[in-house]
Amino acid sequence: MEWKLFAHLRDAADGQSVSVDIEEDATVETALDALLASRPALAEEVLDENEELADHIRVLVNGEDPFAAADGLATAVDEETELALFPPVSGG
Amino acid sequence: MQVLGIVGHSESGKTTLVERLTQRLSGTGRVATVKHCTHPPDVDTDGKDTARHRDAGAGETVALTDDGEWYATGQSRTLDETLDALAPDYDYALVEGYSDASIPKVVLGDLEVADPVVHRAPHGAGADLDDIVTAMEERDPYITLETLVADVKRDPDEVYSGAIATFTGRVRAQEGPDDPPTELLEFERYDEVAAEKMATLRRDLEARDGVHAVRLHHKTGVVDAGEDIVFVVILAGHRGEAFRAVEDGINRLKEEVPLFKKEVTVDEEFWAHER
Repeated sequence: MEWKLFAHLRDAADGQSVSVDIEEDATVETALDALLASRPALAEEVLDENEELADHIRVLVNGEDPFAAADGLATAVDEETELALFPPVSGG
Repeated sequence: MQVLGIVGHSESGKTTLVERLTQRLSGTGRVATVKHCTHPPDVDTDGKDTARHRDAGAGETVALTDDGEWYATGQSRTLDETLDALAPDYDYALVEGYSDASIPKVVLGDLEVADPVVHRAPHGAGADLDDIVTAMEERDPYITLETLVADVKRDPDEVYSGAIATFTGRVRAQEGPDDPPTELLEFERYDEVAAEKMATLRRDLEARDGVHAVRLHHKTGVVDAGEDIVFVVILAGHRGEAFRAVEDGINRLKEEVPLFKKEVTVDEEFWAHER
């Protein structure tokens, strides 16, 4: 499945779009682990001092907020899911 | 307004392609064209009077009939200013020439040009119009504040509307006199999600009592210091609803739409929220 990255996260991962391989019952969390394994420079940008996803970093699952509308990091994902990772939005 | 440049060496069929596209597109919308000239254009076949006006020092002269037909001459206008002037009233601007401009362009034959290039063809006579029109329509349109104001004035509910309130966000060069000047901002966008959020925001604002039409636009890519970035335009029955909606509109747009800003100053460049 595919991670879409934006702003300095894209720079850290050296690509707007990163494909990762996932297992049968993958979740946002395992997909994130796969992403950080394949792009270690990204970990510094998105993890806090407890090695967890930092509060200010946003994740979207097929355009929706998994923390608002689903099970957060435990939300199930599959091959077709589009995941996105980005810092706070800064338009306007 | 969609802008499309048509560029190529002479004899590559640029004017032919402009003709073909104009014929095709005037079926769907209003078309304007701009021609890049290397020599000052010669327009005074008819206008002995306007030539005298110009020789006397007039910066611009306009010859105008009661039926609304006109031509104009002037001394110092840029391509951007020309496109800004056309944007409120036209759906398409076809620009013959200007291979260095950063407008989407069709390249005929072999020519080194500035990006973005949406289509290449050997000659204007045979170039595929369907492909060209599709590629053009996929681009973000050229939008000015006046485009959006002209648009809301055409809404059927304008008859019930006594107020238009607008907000323009622009690139601020400096916070204060000692701040290193910002040269430009660059905006990235999570396309599908941003389109959805903008549509939702527009719907929410238009659903308000007394608000009749809403237009929102945020540019992407490079925006230079002093240029406009984002517009919120509200057509409403009365000023109260208009003022409230325009403020809420820009505040929500900034909170909800996945857009990302990179700042380039004289000293450095950085993404907003980059540590």
